[in-house]
Amino acid sequence: MKIKIIISLVVIVMLATAFIYKAPPHKLTYLKLFIPKGWPKPATDIFVTNPLTEEGFVLGKKLFYDGRLSKDGNFPCSSCHQQFAAFSTYGHDYSHGFNNSLTKRNAPGLFNLAWQKAMHWDGGINNIEVQPLTPITAPNEMAETLFNILIKLKVDTAYVRLFKAAFKDGVINSQHMLKALAQFTGSIQSYNSKYDKVKRGEDSFTVSEKMGYKTFLDKCNSCHTEPLFTDNSFRNNGLTLNFKLPDSGRMTITGNPTDLYKFKVPSLRNCSVTLPYMHDGRMFSLGKVIDHYRKGIDTTQATLDTLLKKGLFISDQERIDLLSFLYALKDSEMLRDPRFIQANDILLPVNYDH
Amino acid sequence: MKVNFLSTVLFFFISCFSTLDAACQLNNSPNGSIKISFINTLNSVPIILDAVNYTNCWNENFTISALKYYISNVQFKTSNKKSIKEKNSYHLIDEENIVSKSFLCTVLPGNYLTLSFLIGVDSIKNVSGAQTDALDPLNSMFWTWNSGYIMFKLEGNSPNSTIVNNKIEYHIGGFAGTNNVLRQVELNLENNKALININSITEIVVQADVGKLWNAVHELKISQTPVCSTPGAPAAGIADNYSKAFTVIKIIN
Repeated sequence: MKIKIIISLVVIVMLATAFIYKAPPHKLTYLKLFIPKGWPKPATDIFVTNPLTEEGFVLGKKLFYDGRLSKDGNFPCSSCHQQFAAFSTYGHDYSHGFNNSLTKRNAPGLFNLAWQKAMHWDGGINNIEVQPLTPITAPNEMAETLFNILIKLKVDTAYVRLFKAAFKDGVINSQHMLKALAQFTGSIQSYNSKYDKVKRGEDSFTVSEKMGYKTFLDKCNSCHTEPLFTDNSFRNNGLTLNFKLPDSGRMTITGNPTDLYKFKVPSLRNCSVTLPYMHDGRMFSLGKVIDHYRKGIDTTQATLDTLLKKGLFISDQERIDLLSFLYALKDSEMLRDPRFIQANDILLPVNYDH
Repeated sequence: MKVNFLSTVLFFFISCFSTLDAACQLNNSPNGSIKISFINTLNSVPIILDAVNYTNCWNENFTISALKYYISNVQFKTSNKKSIKEKNSYHLIDEENIVSKSFLCTVLPGNYLTLSFLIGVDSIKNVSGAQTDALDPLNSMFWTWNSGYIMFKLEGNSPNSTIVNNKIEYHIGGFAGTNNVLRQVELNLENNKALININSITEIVVQADVGKLWNAVHELKISQTPVCSTPGAPAAGIADNYSKAFTVIKIIN
């Protein structure tokens, strides 16, 4: 009899607590995108519909470095986007993909992505969240399907935990995977180059860098506009046509003949480590790039940018100084930032003490 | 004693759940439901994927292996001129998946005059990043080279096709400017009287006549255009054609 009363009581207490007890609120550590002083507003609202959190960032980082996002496990995002190369592929005109294939364009660096209106050389991608779909599914890149990736992620208890931490319902689906990736890649920022420090009064240019900056403002700034060092426009910079790998550029997306051979103006930040240059990676040194603008422009192309019709007059001394300035755009802090390095054990809390 | 004890516990459980139920019902306003069903047809007969040889108005033979399209922004107008919009209204109609071909909208009871929807996914969702459910890129209805949804997809084969394996492939998309393939369809319900009652389901059966694809507004010949998979004028023309395909054939009250 006594036992029964006790059991009844226990049941009643359990039921009562079940009604009173509410699951603890899902805790997220919100982060804010840093907007350096004097910078324009981000071009996109990437973290409005996808609030940036530490948990989302950590998940995104694991995904970014995870080969399982590719068909054979060999091609994580990071295989083409290496931190020491400002998240471009160091020294490769084309990057390697599944089954000994090569990409068809040069992998761009990844930084300050919130200030980019469109992704890819032709601007075909209108939102950072859907960008990874291209390399993931391209047969000459990661060659995998979303369906297969989700199967791989769902059986990994580490991912089950990380998705739960990063998203309220904890569901492992393509939307959450893509949003987490965007939180990681969108957080990669470059604003600590020597140039930035000079601008903030924390450092000073050498004479050569100073002269180079002057040349830059005269000859380059109208397209590679400070402080992002790109105006996000699409332009034809007069590269001779590559008949072995024809590429119509922006016209592929817009269908507009006036966009033929136009490509996105890349940022010059970190350019000393994002070699080679141009959409097809045809130039392996910054000197060659400057020489292209001095005397290599194909002036026969109808869509050639009007600013380049006569080429740029840059003297040999200006060329030397311009190179010094371009080297001052390297952001070593970003290139070594421990926040972006692949975690040895993603489950340990990451200590960011800078 | 034993029975008594068990029944007490059981009673406790039941009373807990039944009070919960009652609370749920009280919180909801009385609603009716409209089920919208799509039947994809050719010559008024439901199509069958792969197995049947069809002939279009240009005397070209073809088979269909896949037919998918988005229906979004579903709206009704009632007799008192109220406009009722379905929330989060995105549906992927996939011929292969029977479940996908009908969906339920919860609406207020009343007399409904028109049903309208967009064929495709509105432009905002084309630029808003990663989505889920019907809009999940898993559904193979999202372009990875030129961000945006494939609004309408028809794939198949035809001896008249000039491309490899005699394929036909219409992937119709594009949401900006003159490339916009979004088409609004408004269907009259008056003749059939869609009367929505409380707690009952009214079914509106919409027929999509695939035959309209070839000539409803513009000529589409397989021999000339076996493939259309980029935004542009040809895609917009095909969208004009299939926008004429939809009619209400039946309302079941």
